[in-house]
Amino acid sequence: MDGDPAIETAGLTRVYRKRWRGGEIRAVDSVTLTVARGTSFGLLGPNGAGKTTFVKMLLGIVRPTAGSAKLLGMDCRRPEARLSVGYLPENHRLPSYWTGAGLLDFAGALSGMDPRSRQRRIAELLELVGLSEWADVRLARYSKGMLQRLGLAQALMHGPALLLLDEPTDGVDPVGRQQIRGILRELEQRGVTVFLNSHLLSEVELSCREVAIMHRGRIVLAGRVKDLTAGQGYRMTAAQVSERLFDELRRRAATAAMQDGLAEFLFPSREELNRAVDLVRAHGGWLESVNRTTSTLEEVFMRTVRSEAAGQN
Amino acid sequence: MRGVQATALLRDAVREAAARWVFWGFYGLSTALILFFLFLLRIDVIEGARATVTLFGETSPRALPVTRLVRQFQGGVASFLYVAGMGLALFASAGLMASTFEAGRIEWLLSKPVSRAGILLCRYAGNVLVVALNVCYLVFGVWLILGWKTGVWDAGFLAAAATTIFMFMVLLSVVTLAATLTGSSALATMVAFALMVLSPILAQHRLMVKLLDSEFWRDVWRALYYLLPKVYEVGRINMLLIRDRAVESWMPVWSSALFGVAVLAAAVIAFSRRDY
Repeated sequence: MDGDPAIETAGLTRVYRKRWRGGEIRAVDSVTLTVARGTSFGLLGPNGAGKTTFVKMLLGIVRPTAGSAKLLGMDCRRPEARLSVGYLPENHRLPSYWTGAGLLDFAGALSGMDPRSRQRRIAELLELVGLSEWADVRLARYSKGMLQRLGLAQALMHGPALLLLDEPTDGVDPVGRQQIRGILRELEQRGVTVFLNSHLLSEVELSCREVAIMHRGRIVLAGRVKDLTAGQGYRMTAAQVSERLFDELRRRAATAAMQDGLAEFLFPSREELNRAVDLVRAHGGWLESVNRTTSTLEEVFMRTVRSEAAGQN
Repeated sequence: MRGVQATALLRDAVREAAARWVFWGFYGLSTALILFFLFLLRIDVIEGARATVTLFGETSPRALPVTRLVRQFQGGVASFLYVAGMGLALFASAGLMASTFEAGRIEWLLSKPVSRAGILLCRYAGNVLVVALNVCYLVFGVWLILGWKTGVWDAGFLAAAATTIFMFMVLLSVVTLAATLTGSSALATMVAFALMVLSPILAQHRLMVKLLDSEFWRDVWRALYYLLPKVYEVGRINMLLIRDRAVESWMPVWSSALFGVAVLAAAVIAFSRRDY
């Protein structure tokens, strides 16, 4: 079982049928995805893309219409598959009649932990999420950010091998976000698989090594964040560029601009860049800077979603 | 499901009942009744056979055999408990059952390594536990006070606790099914109350079979009578036990039990098939 991927789905599909008007909505459409153990994986997508339904199917909360899913090598429909899984739902409503410590105790007991381990773990986790002083206060008095941090603590209570987090930084202030990112990084270093479901691209870019972009129920792009955002082109800035040279370079560049006596070009390939450098030198220009450009995850996301939308329309 | 998980779910149900003041509401009502018998009711027993009763300082002019008097009090408490107490218990429990299915909470519960059947049955059992503790407290408390004041230790009254808890369990299964299907505590309460109201009407089946001229409607009436829980008749059995009289037929008990088991099984199946 240790050699199995953390998450493995094959043709996972969920179709909702409209009861009165007829027709159907394919919330998740034949998703085949493998998430290796020990990685941090982000599932991105616009609202209504099917991300939450996908996660709910993994946890047996929603039944798939077709396909199968395994968590840590076990059929996700079996309760035992969730023994080593921690989950923080989106818009959760943790029972407000529990205190912080009481809720963690309840969560630990539901995961089968014995009382002694629970007591030890509660103190550790409350310390980790900065809620030690709130241990005996009822959740009804907690702020949104505190509830979110406690939600993360309850998901970690039984030391899961796989952590599924649905919008974990929702309602959390910048300091709290940084704290959560730190916790997630530490977990990844300890070999825990972190599966982050979010529409906050910067959050995913900062926290995850791998991502998949979901659009209209399908995975339209997947890969390592480093690969997806790298290798977009080369930027060159130069001074003393004559009008004739600028026109010549503009024909070869993807983009070109002149500002305050500095010409800036973006070349799609290394070859084009080197030819441009030769031309600038041959015409008596001065190179100011040359660097490789990367695109942000947001740019990758927008490109992917737009091209998918254009392709479907 | 392991013991630690079942205990946690039971503890959660009791904790929520306490937080919503349901548990304390029942406890307060039971205590008020016990205090009423303890301080306001004075029974003077003469030679162990006859008595006068003083209530709120007023003395009853009629002298009664003490056993009959005690049984009358016990019957009154049992009737109150069986009708009003059970109605209140169902009303409160419907909220506790429906809250389990609240969005944001049910997803969290279902993500734990516990079977859906386990979650639902423990929630059901937790509600039964809350009500059973209070029913036993009231019945045993009143039984002790009446026994201490009169020397009549009639064990028949203790059966009132068993019959009340039993019928509550049957009707709670209906509340559980309705809450599972709709998530509405109001509808769940209405369905349970409707069964309570229907029961004495359906119990007149012998008379109705004579009055109805269509064989089809006679069959419908009989089917409903045998199918649905016999709240009214189990209540009558309750009174017979208190009065130490023989019970002619236990059919209302076992047929109601069958109904409860079937409805609870239906609730478990419905819950297992639902998406949240």
